[in-house]
Amino acid sequence: MKLWAFLRSFASAFFLRSRTEGEMDEELRSHIQCRADDLQRSGMSRAEAERLAKVEFGAYQKFKEECREERGGFWIETVWTDIRFALRMLRKSPGFAAVAILTLALGIGANTAIFSVVNAVLLRPLPYPNAKRLAMIWSTWGKETRAPASGPELIELRNRSRAFEEIAGIWVTSGTITGTVEPEQVRLALTTANFLPMLAEKPQLGRFFTPGEDRGGAAPLVILTDGLWRRQFGANPGIVGQTTRLNGNNFTIVGVLPRDFKLLFPDSRMADVQVFIPFLNDLEKQSRDTAYIRMVGRLRRGVTVAQAQSEAESIASQLRGEAKEYAEQSLRLSVLSLQEDDVRSVQPAVVSLFAAVVLVLLITCANLANLLLSRSGGRRRETALRTAMGAERRRIIRQLLTENIFLGCLGGIAALGIGWAALKWILSLQPEGIYLLIAAKLDGYVLAFTLVLSILTGVLFGLAPALLAARGDLVEILKECGQTTATGKPWLRQFLIVGEVSLGCILLVGTGLMIRTFTSLLRVDPGFHAENVLTFQMSFPWSRYGTVESVTNFLKDLRTNLAAMPGTQSVGGVSHLPLDEGLGNWYSYYWPEGAPIQQQNTVMADHRSTLPAYFRTIGATLLAGREFEDTDDASHTHVAIVDDTLAEQTWPGQDAIGKKLSVEDSPTGPFQFERESVVVIGVVKHIQAHSLTAKGRGQIYLPVPLAPRPVYSLVVRTTAPMQTFAAYVQQAVKKLDKDMPVSNLRPQMDYVEKARAQTRFVTLLAAALATLALFLACIGIYGVTSYSVAQRNREIAIRIVVGANSADVGRMVLRQSGLPVVVGVVVGLAMAAVLTPLLSGLLFGVHPIDPLTYAAIAVVLAAVGVLACYIPARRATKVDPITALRAE
Amino acid sequence: MTGQAQLLPGTLDLLILKAVSLGPLHGYGVLLRIEQISRGALLVEQGALYPALYRLVRQGLLKASWGTSDNNRRAKFYALTAAGRKRLRQEADGWNRLVAAIASALGAQPEEI
Repeated sequence: MKLWAFLRSFASAFFLRSRTEGEMDEELRSHIQCRADDLQRSGMSRAEAERLAKVEFGAYQKFKEECREERGGFWIETVWTDIRFALRMLRKSPGFAAVAILTLALGIGANTAIFSVVNAVLLRPLPYPNAKRLAMIWSTWGKETRAPASGPELIELRNRSRAFEEIAGIWVTSGTITGTVEPEQVRLALTTANFLPMLAEKPQLGRFFTPGEDRGGAAPLVILTDGLWRRQFGANPGIVGQTTRLNGNNFTIVGVLPRDFKLLFPDSRMADVQVFIPFLNDLEKQSRDTAYIRMVGRLRRGVTVAQAQSEAESIASQLRGEAKEYAEQSLRLSVLSLQEDDVRSVQPAVVSLFAAVVLVLLITCANLANLLLSRSGGRRRETALRTAMGAERRRIIRQLLTENIFLGCLGGIAALGIGWAALKWILSLQPEGIYLLIAAKLDGYVLAFTLVLSILTGVLFGLAPALLAARGDLVEILKECGQTTATGKPWLRQFLIVGEVSLGCILLVGTGLMIRTFTSLLRVDPGFHAENVLTFQMSFPWSRYGTVESVTNFLKDLRTNLAAMPGTQSVGGVSHLPLDEGLGNWYSYYWPEGAPIQQQNTVMADHRSTLPAYFRTIGATLLAGREFEDTDDASHTHVAIVDDTLAEQTWPGQDAIGKKLSVEDSPTGPFQFERESVVVIGVVKHIQAHSLTAKGRGQIYLPVPLAPRPVYSLVVRTTAPMQTFAAYVQQAVKKLDKDMPVSNLRPQMDYVEKARAQTRFVTLLAAALATLALFLACIGIYGVTSYSVAQRNREIAIRIVVGANSADVGRMVLRQSGLPVVVGVVVGLAMAAVLTPLLSGLLFGVHPIDPLTYAAIAVVLAAVGVLACYIPARRATKVDPITALRAE
Repeated sequence: MTGQAQLLPGTLDLLILKAVSLGPLHGYGVLLRIEQISRGALLVEQGALYPALYRLVRQGLLKASWGTSDNNRRAKFYALTAAGRKRLRQEADGWNRLVAAIASALGAQPEEI
């Protein structure tokens, strides 16, 4: 209704405008006529009387304007008049209009695009009911932060917490669906019964799990995601109640999740979970130190994360006092808002990009202000004339501001197009890890942001020129009209150049550092050679592969088959591929045999189950000892290979070969954990397992027969192309087990590129913004220099006449226009030195104040800036004194 | 043209209300009436009258309607509303008190202290 009222008042002001305006004119004119009548009666001629009446009346336009203001509701029509005036002015100088609108469109458009990313990633609440009240609860075991919880820990916390109204748990693993169109390896989540109801209103079909259905001995139930339901079950609406085979067991389908449901958790692999089953286990009866469950809770209404955190701390201290497992590993708990935790890793990147794009906007504003200042020389006469006719200074400033804001809005409209295209490009980069980005679009918030930005930009670039234009001595200006002497404030223009060059400098330095980081990432040694290594994944259903022999034999046969493939150089396999974050990590405590009890549960290592020839195949460096062989099984000496990090930590300065380690393995079958002693037979160079840059935990490799796992990846070093390889693999696996799905057929290089994806994304975007900034700064410098050359034509001509040669003139122009560029570079470098340390979280292999980058940017920017001065300076040297002086 | 005084800020509205209270007037008439009732002592800039008239109309103190003037010109006539009448009384009282106070202050003699 409010909008309607606004529209009505607008419409009436618009349609009645001419009428009220006419009445006002008529009234004032009638006054003057009446006065003239009186004067005529006192003996003047009519013409004389009318002239005197007009003079007596005073500044007609000014009083009319004041009347308009006093009448109320005036602003609509004032704005309307101003806009029409602005349009007329723009039409009169189409070149200016085009440059201004294009500049604005680029500056604001870049902001629109980046803001839609910020909006999607940082601002928009997660698509869950009461998303603001959801929080992750992480455990800390000894030195391991952000660790999962054990079953009893979850139950204890749930029973004691008053800050949370619900606490749920999830564990993600891999499973196989069979008996459908095609056996498929799916990501499988085991959850507590309350997990899904916390994240969705209701399923699109069927129901959620109900309390108790997650207990040990309950019937096996399953809930499917929309994607899997469509793909494997043909979107059958009568699916609820049917059974499906999951890991070789029958599960009853009780529900299908909503179409847009997605697990947006700090752990990106959770996003592809396709199947949910209840834990089917009494969690409180599990071992207190087998930690594998991710906990998420919903805070009670009105409870803050900080309050929940302090409660969690006190519960952790109670637990430490009650059980030795918690005490020994000094269990602690931390509560983090789900949204904040989700974006933890991308926030610095997104915030940095937003800061960069704000710099671009400031440069745009400086450019526009410069453009307007150059133009205000011409506009001064017009404003002076209007002042002479009684327009107030305030009124003129308002008119100029309206004009600029209108210009800003025109630019904003064009910016939407540019922003849309830029966002499309950003999305096409598909940055892994910034998965919330997929939802980025030009929604209402982004449109509102663009509108506000356009208006703000108009004010920002328009205020100074408007204030200046409305100032100055009337008579002076009118007198100098017709002459083209330099007008305005040259120092203001130069200040703006210093400003935009220094802002551009900051952006370029930041981008330079990102590029250096990316090249460091390209050069970093991950501990393996990914070229020519192809991989695929399989998961072994526990119903059919419940024994060590079944897994071992299958892998052995497959290895033989793959070795026979043309082009194969070597075949190996491992439970977790390096840089593949798709599987839950497998890590636990280890200690050298005979370590005192207080040192036993202190240090963890990543544990990997490994096939013979794995290290050779993936191109790792074996520093000492040997790889596994087929005979390294439970019936022989139990052996392990460790990485140099662990060897150095455990036996500093000693030879690790032959030493004994206490580790957790499962020689009697999957999930049958035992702690036992193994002999180190090899030391391998550390392999970057989770990221290319972070120094990871130590690594312990065990042979498959000692540590069978539910999922294996095979690695093949081959010259065969991917397609041939894929076809061969599918066939080789089918031959051994027709129900065994093959997934993630891809080169190992994919994982490496994925690990570089975020840096690549940020670098590309930063480079785009820096290019834009450089381009805008060039236009600015070029524009100001050309303008000043044009203004000084006459002066230059005189100089030439009195004997300056063209080289002198060129040098003079270059010196005067180049100075602000050089000052800008210096100021920019100084500001960059203050700001770039804030980027250090994004950088790798380069110091935030990297002298090489700083020097290179200074040279590039100064060179480009001077080049932008040079072209107009050359024009100055070609000034023909005769024509220039005659033109005056 | 001697003996004329500049208007104090804010007094123009009061004068207009007073002038119109003696009978509906058009803008020029208001001007003449003020001259007449101030015996030519107060000078109103002609154009400045209109913003004040529009302001008083917006405040609901005056109402305006079109009519014909004595010398047969179409003109807009202003008349006092009830609110205008009330305001005139208040302002006039306030003004009189102020004038009395200032006059007594200025007329003070040394022996009175």
